[in-house]
Amino acid sequence: MEDIATGFHNAIILLLTLDAQLYEIVGLSLAVSLSSVIISACLGVPLGALIGTHSFPFKNALLRIIYTFMSLPPVIAGLVVFLLIMRRGPLGSWGLTYTPTAMVIAQVCLVTPIITGLTYNIVRDKAPTVKALAITLGAGKMESLKLLIFELRIGILAAIVTGLGRAISEVGAVMIVGGNIKGKTRVMTTYIAQLKSMGDYSTAIAVGIVLLIMAFLINTFLYNVQQKIEN
Amino acid sequence: MKLYMENLTKEYEGRKVLDIGKLQIEKGDLCGIIGPNGAGKSTLLNLIAGLIKPTSGRLMYGDEMELTAPQKKITMVFQTPYLMHTTVEKNIAYPLKLRNWSSDRIEARVEELTRELGLTNFRRQKSWKLSGGETQKVALARALSFQPELLLLDEPTANVDPSTTAEIEKMLKRINDTSGTTVILVTHNLVQAKRVCAQAIFLNQGKVVEYGESEKMLKSPEHDLTRRFVAGELLI
Repeated sequence: MEDIATGFHNAIILLLTLDAQLYEIVGLSLAVSLSSVIISACLGVPLGALIGTHSFPFKNALLRIIYTFMSLPPVIAGLVVFLLIMRRGPLGSWGLTYTPTAMVIAQVCLVTPIITGLTYNIVRDKAPTVKALAITLGAGKMESLKLLIFELRIGILAAIVTGLGRAISEVGAVMIVGGNIKGKTRVMTTYIAQLKSMGDYSTAIAVGIVLLIMAFLINTFLYNVQQKIEN
Repeated sequence: MKLYMENLTKEYEGRKVLDIGKLQIEKGDLCGIIGPNGAGKSTLLNLIAGLIKPTSGRLMYGDEMELTAPQKKITMVFQTPYLMHTTVEKNIAYPLKLRNWSSDRIEARVEELTRELGLTNFRRQKSWKLSGGETQKVALARALSFQPELLLLDEPTANVDPSTTAEIEKMLKRINDTSGTTVILVTHNLVQAKRVCAQAIFLNQGKVVEYGESEKMLKSPEHDLTRRFVAGELLI
């Protein structure tokens, strides 16, 4: 109980004293998570919409793979990305090991299936109606797809928020490919894991609280966007 | 352009739901399609709109154009129309934006249509706040915005009140008279078919049973099936 109380106290001090190390970690956490979510949304939304609006061979098999990847353990994603980018790996010459770019790649692998799968489910239900409307009003294939995404924007935003939740709270993959290097690849989740292993519970709690506040602020912003669209 | 179909069939899982030997709807007609449930009325509209493909046969628009895909000159209003999640005016403007109309022309056309359909006060209203009748009028305004050559309507007044029904019927007659738009109206309402449509087609089990002047057909049907349908002996 004392650790938790101290954690709250330390969190306030860390935030108010503008602790440089903490803000650097927060900045990198935001940069990695937001970058991976933006890339995943650019890939996952059109992909989910395409799968939802088209019939093709092995569609059910593809969907099962996507659903499986939606619950992909982060350590597996991290391990696969690490094996690809490590010095002796096929992409070793790119020099991505223990860089923020590698962390973004790993998170894209985790978040893209989530956004794709959720978008597919939203699209599947509404696509026939919206598609029929678009066709009868003279829209082409691309315009129909654009209208569909526009019409489903609230649900798609919810899918992106879910993806962001996964990215920002994820520790296994970024730990493996990033290495938790101070000043280079250390993000909040890996920092918390390290503090815990060092027995520094109060600082770990403090960073955890900062992480929660950050997640709350981002979700509040996205919730407001959603409300604005609805009204 | 006239609409012509020959040996047109549509099957679902081996079951024939439409089987039209020969049928021609002239340019500028206001034609009603009547018939009991499962007669193939909506299937025929969906085929003309290009939403589904025929199993066999030919569906010609004019002398040369075979309708195998949706056409920009043909549009459709559904029984339960879907309005985009935005304002009334943006819904009406959407087909015009697809056709690259200038903003001035779009504004003028939206103004004209909202005035004609009594929607002026609803222009900036969000679509989901409209009543059923208002929704149907917006869907009609949106379909008419780009002045289609052929307008298909699938029971557009099935869920609206009598005054909105009267407004929609008046609009259909007017655009048919003034713009020469060919209108095909699927309806269960025989009085409406008689009141609005010059021609009527009676479909039963996917086949054209009778086709001719609506008033004559509904007053003194030639075919026994039509007579039974008009008398209410065939289930709607």
